[in-house]
Amino acid sequence: MNLALLEMRRHIGRFVGTSVGVALLFTVVLAMAGIYGGLVDDATVLVRALRTDLWVVQKSTRGPFADISRLDPTLDQRVAGVSGVRVARAFTFQVIERPHGPRSLRFALVGLSWTEDRGRNLPIVSGRSLAQAHGELVADASLGLPIGSIVHLATEDFTIVGLTRQLLASSGDPVVFATTSDAQLITEDLPTDAVRTERERFAARLLLSDVGRTQPVLEDLVRDPRWKPPALASAPFSAILVNVADPSRLSDVRAAISRWPDVVAYSSGEEERFLLDGVVEKPRKQLLLFSIILVFTSSVLISALIYMMTLSKSHDIAVLKLIGAPVTRIAGMVLQQAWLIGIVGYAIAVAVGSQAFPHFPRRVVLTPWTIGGVGVLVLVVSTLASILGVIHALRIDPGRALEA
Amino acid sequence: MDALRAEGISKRYGEGDTLVRALSDVSLRLEAGTVVALLGPSGSGKSTLVKALGLVTLPDTGRIWMQDRLVVDNGRAVASLRELRRRHLGFVFQKPNLIPFMTARQNVAVAAEIGGEPDPFGRASELLRYLDVSHRERSLPATLSGGEQQRVSIARALANRPSIVLADEPTAALDKVRGRAVMELFRRVAHEQQAAVLVVTHDHRTLDLFDVRYELEDGYLRG
Repeated sequence: MNLALLEMRRHIGRFVGTSVGVALLFTVVLAMAGIYGGLVDDATVLVRALRTDLWVVQKSTRGPFADISRLDPTLDQRVAGVSGVRVARAFTFQVIERPHGPRSLRFALVGLSWTEDRGRNLPIVSGRSLAQAHGELVADASLGLPIGSIVHLATEDFTIVGLTRQLLASSGDPVVFATTSDAQLITEDLPTDAVRTERERFAARLLLSDVGRTQPVLEDLVRDPRWKPPALASAPFSAILVNVADPSRLSDVRAAISRWPDVVAYSSGEEERFLLDGVVEKPRKQLLLFSIILVFTSSVLISALIYMMTLSKSHDIAVLKLIGAPVTRIAGMVLQQAWLIGIVGYAIAVAVGSQAFPHFPRRVVLTPWTIGGVGVLVLVVSTLASILGVIHALRIDPGRALEA
Repeated sequence: MDALRAEGISKRYGEGDTLVRALSDVSLRLEAGTVVALLGPSGSGKSTLVKALGLVTLPDTGRIWMQDRLVVDNGRAVASLRELRRRHLGFVFQKPNLIPFMTARQNVAVAAEIGGEPDPFGRASELLRYLDVSHRERSLPATLSGGEQQRVSIARALANRPSIVLADEPTAALDKVRGRAVMELFRRVAHEQQAAVLVVTHDHRTLDLFDVRYELEDGYLRG
């Protein structure tokens, strides 16, 4: 006869109420674990989605995500000439925010090297990859734009032709793919005020130089509203993505590129690690610490609940001890009740979480490992939380049953 | 054979000015199949004696034998008291003390299960029938009358087939008719189940139902 279950069944209202309270706490614990998982996944999903062997980035930097990397626009051709390289693709990356009708679109714009990379390897769930060099975008569904939507960017119209799902940047912003030339066109497009400011700065710099002072026509040219200040002659790339012809020769290719004075090559694994160790390290630690505090709070709460429940049946426990109930049975009853509250609370938390988490602004990733891991943690917390109750139960004098 | 024998039991509480001699050199025997009354005014040490004989509290001095086996020697346990209570003792309290979240049958069955009965629910049903409360076996204690609760409590005390039943004022909460009915029940249990039954009572109207009477006064026992 299971005494814990019997008592729970008789006091089902109290038990459900307690479990729901505990469930709310566990939902937050689960959310923290899921947000942590989401943060890690978001940080690395783009690196994985691009399916590249090597990332060639500016020397002394850690690549386009963890650090700013500016590469010579001709570098892709230089890398393509290295022995063992199957394909070298230019890559640009920048988080931008642009108005779109009444709302504002914030996204990470990734430039893919046309024609080598049309985004066919991307996890497209609806629509297609890029089919022309200009005017097409593949966007993540979380941007909220359906296929066929027209987005006006940099005085041009771009059409959404494909949708990915859960392809986010480490910042949590949806990723939008375009050809590198379109990406550069969009990112180099400056608001009017910025153009005016840049024009003034350029004219001021010009007047400080001998050329500017001796050739006034140049100043007129710079101040001409039709002239757009060349922020740069040709926009740089953020990285070159390299796929090798023979995976066994990866280290040779890497060594060859790394000998160049202006660049460094990293594997995809290293690039993922830079993201985790650098970009999202502090948020990860923050979430971890917050989760620890929550687990501790849950433990204290369940502990108090179990202790109160044990306290309220002290006389019944005294009767059981008087009639010779073994210690294991008394302790087992308290422990099983803690487990029941923990397990039912956790089951409710998983159910609530699976309904609520998809509506969270940041992605909450609940893998079977996360659910299983937190489940084991819940069992450990419940076990620890029952200790006070068990100690109290074991200290109850059976003689109390004889007292009127 | 003596179901229980006690010799020279003494128990004190407190010390100095607050010293209370609850039991002083108490010796008694409980024979199988007999109903023994333990009388005495409040504070005379009856509950302390029941606790000592029930192996709930150890006396300071004295010896206790259970079915000729020494279990307490000079105030020290020489066997597992919990195990002895589980195997040989049944308790009936002034209040029924039924576990409120269990039905009448479950209350009896849990005691049978703890006592090692192979079919605890069968044993519970059998006892509830024996004590004429089988019609309430699925009822929770709160829905039973005082008399029914006390009968379920007696059934629980018998669940482990004890050789000794200790009852501490079991009729205190019952009226005269029900009180006498319970005492008759103890007599029946003692004779039919060959158990020694010790009943602490204040009720002199039922003394004719007892085989042996002891009276306790200021910790001293008079047979």
